[in-house]
Amino acid sequence: MTDRPAAEREPGSYRDPSGFVFRRDGVLYRQVNAVFAGDWAAFESSGLHAALVREGVLVADRPVALELAPEPNAVAVIAPDEIGFISHPFEWSFSQLKDAALLTLRAQAMAGEHGMTLRDASAYNVQFVAGRPVLIDTLSFERARAGEPWKPYRQFCENFLAPLALMATRDGRLGQLLRSWIDGVPLDLASELLPRRTRLSAGLAAHIHLHARAQRRHSGDAVAEDAVAPRGVTMSDTRRLALLDHLRRTVEGLKLPAHGTEWADYADQTSYSAAGTTSKEALVRRLLDACFAAGGRRAWDLGANTGRYSAIAASAGFEVLALDGDWAAVERHYLALRAAGERRIMPLLIGLADPSPAIGWANTERASLIGRANADVVVALALVHHLAIGRNVPLPMFADLLARLAPTLVVEWVPKEDPMVQRLLSAREDIFPGYTVEGFREDFERRFEIVEEAPIDDSRRVLFRMRRRT
Amino acid sequence: MRLVFAYIDPGAGSLIIQALIAAVVSVPFFFRNAIRSTIGRLRRKPAGVASGSITPEDAGAKPTAAE
Repeated sequence: MTDRPAAEREPGSYRDPSGFVFRRDGVLYRQVNAVFAGDWAAFESSGLHAALVREGVLVADRPVALELAPEPNAVAVIAPDEIGFISHPFEWSFSQLKDAALLTLRAQAMAGEHGMTLRDASAYNVQFVAGRPVLIDTLSFERARAGEPWKPYRQFCENFLAPLALMATRDGRLGQLLRSWIDGVPLDLASELLPRRTRLSAGLAAHIHLHARAQRRHSGDAVAEDAVAPRGVTMSDTRRLALLDHLRRTVEGLKLPAHGTEWADYADQTSYSAAGTTSKEALVRRLLDACFAAGGRRAWDLGANTGRYSAIAASAGFEVLALDGDWAAVERHYLALRAAGERRIMPLLIGLADPSPAIGWANTERASLIGRANADVVVALALVHHLAIGRNVPLPMFADLLARLAPTLVVEWVPKEDPMVQRLLSAREDIFPGYTVEGFREDFERRFEIVEEAPIDDSRRVLFRMRRRT
Repeated sequence: MRLVFAYIDPGAGSLIIQALIAAVVSVPFFFRNAIRSTIGRLRRKPAGVASGSITPEDAGAKPTAAE
């Protein structure tokens, strides 16, 4: 008992009395509390647990010794498979959120077939593993009771349907509302922001507009002790299935309007000649091969756009996080990866100039981007000018940030004479006298050791491979 | 006559509207499944599928989320 490493509770795992997630010696575990024993037993004996894991709907886990439980009242302890990178719903593109929504409904459908039901529909319960969404909250299932309405209905509407509808019918950027509302977009707000025409769409009219109105109208009912108290609401099995089927159809019917943004077709309009592109691709491959040979396994591609160089990193053997601040680029990237069945690359909507903050209770419930840094290699191609000139980030600060993200760096220097930099400078005064390759080397050498320098053919750009100083 | 904002419980309205919506959408749901099972039965007859396998009625009643 005494020589066992201390257990540390995961900061995001505090809401549910039925159990919690903790780490011991770096290993992730989940304790199941006695209060949930009946449902946990049914989850196992109904075959639902095994079926969900078999179908890839739920993260796999293995039972471990009960003595590992850090708190009394444990009836079981499991060790779920570790997720490579925990992403947040506001970091997903439209189709990622939509796939997560459909996965949640699929989990509910499977639960229904086993006499159980989902009791939670938070988008944070879904994570992406090998390119596909998977449920990570093993304690989300309880025994279904006859006549019971679908408990997480409101949560599903707020976490999935409302942001998806706003993105599809108003603006793709509105998924960012989830950054402000950790529990999902309030339905009265969604109803107000949605275009008027959505009142004519049966699904959105019902699940968002009428839903929001009902919330307002019955907001005082909870304290009323009369016969129509909400606890008395019942629903037949068929009706519940019809409701879930309708939700699924509504989600499936939501599509993004087909138009790009300034960034999404950026990959095709760089300043490179054909020779320059070939040279850059070959050099990036060579530098990443060297990083991989040095033992790196996880790469973060910053400013990945639609993933040309993420693909090179993946083929060099890396598991890649492809970060970009443009939702349309992330959306396109995700759709292309999904269509190709590519499992090693995960695109996420994260811009480096304003990366995801830590949110939720005590600012620790959901970690910031930097708090989740786990890369062995950071790849920053065609990025330096956007931050240094586009966002006035001094080069030493850029070097500091990259040094916080990973021990190895592949970075591209883009000189001032480059047409893309000239384009950035065309509308503003040049207040960047220090923006030179010499200045860049000097600023970066304070944090990194330059291992290799490789000029790109037919261009004045230079690729660097660097190692963080210890 | 809205309550103080912090005391508003949106859960009650969600439950009530859920029951209402479910009642309404269960009608087309029922008919869709009926049509599907009829088509299934017509198709099945010439094929001579053994009874006891999963029937189209069963399949139609599940809200199977697409991949």
